[in-house]
Amino acid sequence: MNKFKHKVFNVLYSMFAILSCVALGKVCAFYAPLLPGSLYGLMLFTLTLHVRIFDADRIKDSVVWGVKHMGVCFVPAGVGIMNHFDLIRQFGITIVMITFITTFILLTIVGLHYQRYANDQDENDDEGSHVS
Amino acid sequence: MLAELLNHHLLSSIFAVVATIALFQFVAVFQRKLNAIWLQPMLVSILVIMSFLLWQNISFDHYFASSWFLNALLEPAVVALGFPLYQHLSTITKQWKSILLVLCIGAFIAIVTSFVVTMLLIGDYTIAVALALKSVTTPIAIAIAGQLDGNTAITAFAIILAGFFGALVGPPWLKFINVNSPKAQGLAIGAASHAIGTATVSNISYEHAAYSSLALIVSAVITATFSPFIINFLVTLL
Repeated sequence: MNKFKHKVFNVLYSMFAILSCVALGKVCAFYAPLLPGSLYGLMLFTLTLHVRIFDADRIKDSVVWGVKHMGVCFVPAGVGIMNHFDLIRQFGITIVMITFITTFILLTIVGLHYQRYANDQDENDDEGSHVS
Repeated sequence: MLAELLNHHLLSSIFAVVATIALFQFVAVFQRKLNAIWLQPMLVSILVIMSFLLWQNISFDHYFASSWFLNALLEPAVVALGFPLYQHLSTITKQWKSILLVLCIGAFIAIVTSFVVTMLLIGDYTIAVALALKSVTTPIAIAIAGQLDGNTAITAFAIILAGFFGALVGPPWLKFINVNSPKAQGLAIGAASHAIGTATVSNISYEHAAYSSLALIVSAVITATFSPFIINFLVTLL
């Protein structure tokens, strides 16, 4: 029973932590409209955990669960494609092709670049461990 | 009368949300059982719901209004990505220069290639702006598209396309070209496929989630800051 109470408390605590960051993010977006509120909220959440305003151990379980299942929240917005059928018909397959190809290029460039950097990093670490 | 209407609305809300979650979970379980990457729960759910709405002649606006609960969870879900980011903060701060460099190059190439290719193939400025912004998260892209007189409907559409394309093809493609580090995979998919890609790779590992959400934020900031200059410059060139 005590364990259950503990769990419920942790879930409520996580919800409070996240919702307060959502609210603060909205305030930031209102005064500095460079980024949307949710991205400010994301940064604030990271920051508040880092400076230990919120206790990461209490939050961990519920947030890991939430991040794993967050995909379902994007479904209603995604169904919105059905409102753009006329656009798809009008410009045909060109938009789709351009999107696919440029996304492909972006994936490849960022992935390869950082992989090369990560490889160098590993080699350096290996050399470092030899020296020490 | 009012009570009846409210009741009706409440019922359709509950139905829309429960059905969406059940469908999503069903596909997710099926995907795990069959071990099939292409059975992406998000994509399959969207296709099934879309066909259902078209078949039953239900408007998207009605479904969207009924599923408000899931939409209300979108912002908290994005904020929750701050947690994996927090867990990897110490390694990330050590590498911030290279991460920033890679993401700057990526954002620059994404904007330039999309804008130039669209201008050459379609020749419409509003569509070119829309496609140039498709790799960043929806609220930012829509805001910049509005600022630059781009077509916001096409922006929204291209964002979803880019999101799913990267989420579906990204992981196998990156593996194929020998990009095996979870950090590199996370950064690439976050940079190309924003929140949809991040939500998908968050399933693979925590490191993916951390680097993907990092790329999501940094790419958004870079694009918001530099795309107006880049696009104005390209317009004078073309």
